[in-house]
Amino acid sequence: MSITNVASEVIGSVWKVEMSVGDTVKVGDTIMILESMKMEIPVEAPVEGTLAELKVKPEDSVDEDQVLCTIES
Amino acid sequence: MHNRELNSEKASADDNETAGSSINEELHFRRVSALEMGGAEAIERQHANGRLTVRERFSELTDADSFREVGTLGGSGEYDENNKLVRVTPAPYVAGMARVNGRPVAIGGEDFTVRGGTTFGAARRKGGQGGFIEDLAHYYKIPLVNLIDGAGGTVTSAKRRGYVAFPGVHGFERSVQLLGEVPVVSAVLGTAAGGPAGRAILSHFSVMVRGTSQIFAAGPPVVKRSLGRDIDKEELGGAATAVDKAGTIHNAADSEEEALDQIRQFLSYMPQNVWEMPPVVPCDDPVDRCEAALRDIVPEKRTQPYSMHDLINLVVDKGPVFEIQPTNGKSVITSLARLDGRPVGIVANNPKFYSGAMDASSAHKQIRFMELCDTFHIPLVFLVDVPGFMVGLKAEQEATLREGMRAVYVAGQLTVPTLTLVIRKCYGMAGMATCNKNDIDLKLSWPSGEWGSLPVEGGVAAAFRRDIANSADPKVREKELEAELRAYASPFRTAEAFAVEEIIDPSETRPILCEYIALAEGRLKASLGPKRKAGVSP
Repeated sequence: MSITNVASEVIGSVWKVEMSVGDTVKVGDTIMILESMKMEIPVEAPVEGTLAELKVKPEDSVDEDQVLCTIES
Repeated sequence: MHNRELNSEKASADDNETAGSSINEELHFRRVSALEMGGAEAIERQHANGRLTVRERFSELTDADSFREVGTLGGSGEYDENNKLVRVTPAPYVAGMARVNGRPVAIGGEDFTVRGGTTFGAARRKGGQGGFIEDLAHYYKIPLVNLIDGAGGTVTSAKRRGYVAFPGVHGFERSVQLLGEVPVVSAVLGTAAGGPAGRAILSHFSVMVRGTSQIFAAGPPVVKRSLGRDIDKEELGGAATAVDKAGTIHNAADSEEEALDQIRQFLSYMPQNVWEMPPVVPCDDPVDRCEAALRDIVPEKRTQPYSMHDLINLVVDKGPVFEIQPTNGKSVITSLARLDGRPVGIVANNPKFYSGAMDASSAHKQIRFMELCDTFHIPLVFLVDVPGFMVGLKAEQEATLREGMRAVYVAGQLTVPTLTLVIRKCYGMAGMATCNKNDIDLKLSWPSGEWGSLPVEGGVAAAFRRDIANSADPKVREKELEAELRAYASPFRTAEAFAVEEIIDPSETRPILCEYIALAEGRLKASLGPKRKAGVSP
């Protein structure tokens, strides 16, 4: 069992969260969509597993490298 | 290392026949000693650390049986009281000429199994800055390959010399000169500091291995002594810092084999020197290949990104595309590719990362890449989707405006043919860094193109602030003004005014680009040689 942190690559804000804690994720699934520089930036699952924790909610500001959620696999 | 009884002085005094065989024997012995490097134990340690020996690296990188060594016998001989040779410890640097992709290169690398690859005091330096290997590249106008696995000089050399040398006793003059003459590539394959680290930077392309190589100005003991901070060498100078974050080294590889393969790939696009044309390879991908998929690749919704990597792959020759700095300055993609077999440099904004906005690191990356292509007569294709310079406090603190204007400055000095193709956005001064106004300045666009000094959104809020604030419903008024101005933003209106030279069907991108790159050939041939440097860049 390992935990993978999914971090933001950009400065921006959370626009939509597409999944809930406990959901099964596959590599490439969109977990949430950020908004940065007027562009929708999908945050995709880097690994397969279960969405263990959501650390942000819509309209939250996010920084580069900030952990957005964790995946347990 | 093996020991033996041999008296070289005596052998030369003996009769010819004996002397001949004895001398051959000595040559054989010394050659075998060189091949044994630092000995079985040191080689085992090198392997246990996940690293190849310098000679294994040469075999991995170069064409079979092509290595012609120079300085094989350089080293330290040990003699007994009768002046008989007992053993030879080879110099901690291996060098010579070899072939890569069938073409000659000068190649050298530290041998970490011998005294940790430290600088070797000899009558003439084999490698390092100002060493024989740099001279070989310079005088024969062939690429230089540095396989770096050492930390340069040590303070102990002062004891040997009897004085402390002034910085630059082995200066970088030749290393600097080579950057305007021949391709220079470096792989950092161990822990590099000092002179070897400096040479890795003075390269057109550099690569390091994740997990087994590090590079820094000064290592953990110096950091501890200077700043009182404990930090391990991987955190301080591993690929996550030196490649992904800093861009000190261009690319990272997951293994030494992959790092050496990246060098082979990079060199395959380069001419042997600035007086020659880049190599053209046979191409079986039709030049008139149209791709319907390109018509739908840009989403209708302006706030949705798309894969610029996919777009590039649909346009250029099928086969390898070599991306430089894929993990740093990610809002721009810089790749070497081919169009009908001819090398081209692709500069493409990446809408998936900050909407393709130019920040300080992507400006650096674009500048270096433009200078690389300009130096080696590789025409540039700009695939443009840039909303402008990156905004915000962090961007201002990183001097985005200055670095961005430097990109504009360098773009304006390019002498290599450039093609600008607007895919979606082309705004402001960052947009200017994708064209060369001092040249024919041919700007093509897809119908999805849009441009201006700044985007309508945000621009309206700034220009009509009072109008919006005084209206009954400011939000509605802002939208009204945006809609009014957007009507003028149609690319076809700009084409009517011939302010953009041609709007093309996206599916025809490849045939059109291939045609212009073929056309560029004559012009490139007429302008071979070193490039002039002028002015003070911002």
